[in-house]
Amino acid sequence: MSERVLAVTDLQVRFGTKRGVAEVVNGISYDLHSGETLAIVGESGSGKSVGVLALMGLLAQPPAAVSGSINYRGRELVGISPKEWRRVRGKGMAMIFQDPMTSLNPVRTVGYQLIEPMALHLGLAGDVARKRAIGLLELVGIPSPDSRIDDYPHQLSGGMRQRVMIAMGLSCDPDVLIADEATTALDVTTQAQITELVADLQHRLGMAVVWITHDLGVVAGIADRVHVMYGGRFMEQADVDGLYTQPRHPYTEGLLGSLPMPGADRPDRLVSIPGLPPDPVAMPAGCPFAPRCPHSDGSRCVEIIPRVEEVTPGHDAACHYPLGAGL
Amino acid sequence: MTAQLEADRLATKPVSRFRETIRALLANKLAVAGLVVLAVLVIVGIFGEALAPHGLNELDVENRFAGPGADHWFGTDNLGRDTFSRILIAARVSLQVGFIAVGFAVVVGVPIGLAAGYYRGAVESVLMRAMDVLFSFPAILLAIAILAVLGPGIGNAMIAIGLVYTPIFARITRGSVLVVAEEVYIRAARSLGAGDGRIIFRHILPNVMAPIIVQTTLSLAFAILSEAALSYLGLGVQPPNPAWGRMLSDGQDFFQQSAWMGVFPGLAILVTVMAFNFVGDGLRDALDPKQKSVIESRGQSV
Amino acid sequence: MGRTLPTGPHGSDGMTGFLVRRILQMVLALLGVSIVVFSLIHLVPGDPVRVALGTRFDQELYDLLRERAGLDRPIIEQYFTWLGNAVTGDLGVSFRNGQPVTTLILERLPATITLAGAALFIAVVVALPAGIISAARSGSGLDYTVSAASQVGISMPDFWAGVMYILLFSLTLAWLPSSGYSPLGNGVVEWVRHLILPAMTIGLISGSIITRFVRSAVLEALNQDYVLTARAKGLTEWQIVRRHVLPNAWIPIVTVIGLQLGFLLGGVVVVELIFAWPGLGRLALIAVKDRDFTVLQGSVLYIAFMFLAINLIVDIIYARLDPRVRVS
Repeated sequence: MSERVLAVTDLQVRFGTKRGVAEVVNGISYDLHSGETLAIVGESGSGKSVGVLALMGLLAQPPAAVSGSINYRGRELVGISPKEWRRVRGKGMAMIFQDPMTSLNPVRTVGYQLIEPMALHLGLAGDVARKRAIGLLELVGIPSPDSRIDDYPHQLSGGMRQRVMIAMGLSCDPDVLIADEATTALDVTTQAQITELVADLQHRLGMAVVWITHDLGVVAGIADRVHVMYGGRFMEQADVDGLYTQPRHPYTEGLLGSLPMPGADRPDRLVSIPGLPPDPVAMPAGCPFAPRCPHSDGSRCVEIIPRVEEVTPGHDAACHYPLGAGL
Repeated sequence: MTAQLEADRLATKPVSRFRETIRALLANKLAVAGLVVLAVLVIVGIFGEALAPHGLNELDVENRFAGPGADHWFGTDNLGRDTFSRILIAARVSLQVGFIAVGFAVVVGVPIGLAAGYYRGAVESVLMRAMDVLFSFPAILLAIAILAVLGPGIGNAMIAIGLVYTPIFARITRGSVLVVAEEVYIRAARSLGAGDGRIIFRHILPNVMAPIIVQTTLSLAFAILSEAALSYLGLGVQPPNPAWGRMLSDGQDFFQQSAWMGVFPGLAILVTVMAFNFVGDGLRDALDPKQKSVIESRGQSV
Repeated sequence: MGRTLPTGPHGSDGMTGFLVRRILQMVLALLGVSIVVFSLIHLVPGDPVRVALGTRFDQELYDLLRERAGLDRPIIEQYFTWLGNAVTGDLGVSFRNGQPVTTLILERLPATITLAGAALFIAVVVALPAGIISAARSGSGLDYTVSAASQVGISMPDFWAGVMYILLFSLTLAWLPSSGYSPLGNGVVEWVRHLILPAMTIGLISGSIITRFVRSAVLEALNQDYVLTARAKGLTEWQIVRRHVLPNAWIPIVTVIGLQLGFLLGGVVVVELIFAWPGLGRLALIAVKDRDFTVLQGSVLYIAFMFLAINLIVDIIYARLDPRVRVS
């Protein structure tokens, strides 16, 4: 029985910059259920990281302005006070970041940083806290946790540091775990280990997981649903099989074409999408992908923003001419 | 990604970077204010006597020790001389000493830094150890000691202050050269047969200019402060030439009769130094906002 | 996996090697300093003793002083004699009053150290909170006020500031004495009363420099990724600053404080004159006025030595705090 833990409706994030207002996130909506893994995929500049930072209330307002609705367990989060945010962050929703080298404080021990959120949110201290911390380290697969707990971050490898980050994120039993490019800084083998670990933990603990990544290759093995993001909007929303077998949006098609895939039609060529992502300060009036889209009609695509609409059940796309759907 | 941006930035032609820098500088309000003050100062320095309402040694004996008023904006001193006029005229000396002293420091220090950073090895050791020795003295003390030996005077003050500031320029230049000399295009130039001199002056020097320029501005600020200190102590500019520092020490002598004598020369120094500092900070931010404090400010001055 | 601290050939942590190298450097610098100081007396145009005696010229005295200063020997011999004497504590005698220079210096050393120490205390007490708070509240009105104040602080001539303080606190308000030094033995209150103004004069200026450093060190630490992680855990800003930012920012802060102590040693020179503070700086200045070269040499040597020693200690502390420095 999976309950809905998060409902995001028309989330928008604008930044005030010297050059003008940057529209970084332009109305994204999605639901999240416990036990579910959602992947949000996009290039850098697509707004995917900013979107989840907004979820955690980690954007300083000003210069950011967050609007729309973030409903966590029936509670509206947009507009709550910083104090209330601090009660949600680290407890109900937790986040792990890209670079485990710099995301851990070099002058504090692993144990200190692990116990910190537990002391804060759960009121644990002393031996109880330490035992639980050791248990968490074991849970994430760190050998000799009772000695590792007193180590400093620089004494651990990148993969182990990321495991510590995961342990920290899970320490207060969150409903939602957000992984922002959490495997990007790791080598391929470690990447696989970490993604497996998270999947395993999700099985055991039942939280919802949001993976933010630019790497479609990573997504395939771990996600239930995938949302493709571009120019601050979702271009396509589908379950993972549907996305890979029958992409409906030209952008997704382009992304998939640029993946090296064994057994593909032309194994010797990687297709890359020509052009550059849109400038958030000067977002085009129509579809943000139109300037780079091989199927753009030059008129409707450029003038009218396509809304996210269902193409087939469970598979949505924001396109005036979704692929394979006939005109 | 930052490394790539750095390389691109270094590879762009100096001219477009120059314009970019000026634009960034002018966007900084404090820096602009500083530039305006400095412009005024330079004009005053050149046309001092013409702009002053009263003569340098014009005595208004009835109005000695006056406070600020209609006729004497900053009051008068113990001989009835108009403080405002004297401050204007003394500006020239401060600027002169400042610019020449720092000029000396740049002309001596930068080549030392270039040689040390480029040739490394024994050359570097000897040169930088010599600089270390100069650095071992608190600045004002070194200046005083030099003036004790050479005797007071404006020219000697320039030499003394120049010597005191030389090590900073050597160090900064060397630091930048160490970074730049590793760049690929230097190796490329060398492989094309360019001689040392050409490499140093055509390729390395333009790319280490940025911190040198910033340091020059900041050093100017503190050189003026140093000059004021030296003339305060009676070691710098000698009478009858006016100098802000000496006006201050005269003011202190006559404290009982008029507190105002000492206030305005000090303010003049303060404003001038601040203006240079604003411009220097603005330049530093404009040239490279991420630049760490390789650049020393007041640590090595009065 | 594995330790990343530097390990030397014998499994040490690099500290000994570093210490050795730095001390060697200091000795070299001291030698250079000694040469410079030594040559002071010889670069004087004319005869230094004659110049020093000036109108009080007396042939007997002249001969005596020249003999005592060994000025007739070959210059290399003079240097080594002088150096040897200096190391054993004999810095010659004053041209002015015949007293041993070392005695004169040691008499005045406590006053200078007291002043420098008090100034540093004021500087740190002002700068640490100001720097931390303005970094934590970066961009706010408070931040701008602190920035403005520190800009004024570093641009202010210390001799002017001192005079202004005297004007305000001594002459106008009559709260504090305008000059002089009251040794601790005469009572703490008097000691403090005499110490405040001169210490404040240098201390606030030094404090302005330190404030800017503290602010940028804390700001830099605040921009680190681990601060974002800490925020994501739900910590308050103050908890983040206290537990994560400050422990990392200490390193550059300690360094700059140490370096400022060196700067203060120089700064005391003029301030001692203004407040008639009987310290080394004033001794040096009077020696300049009097052309008393031996005293000048001695005091410059002492001050430079203390300067170098402080820099060495600062470097050692820095290396203790940050292992990466030890291999440089």
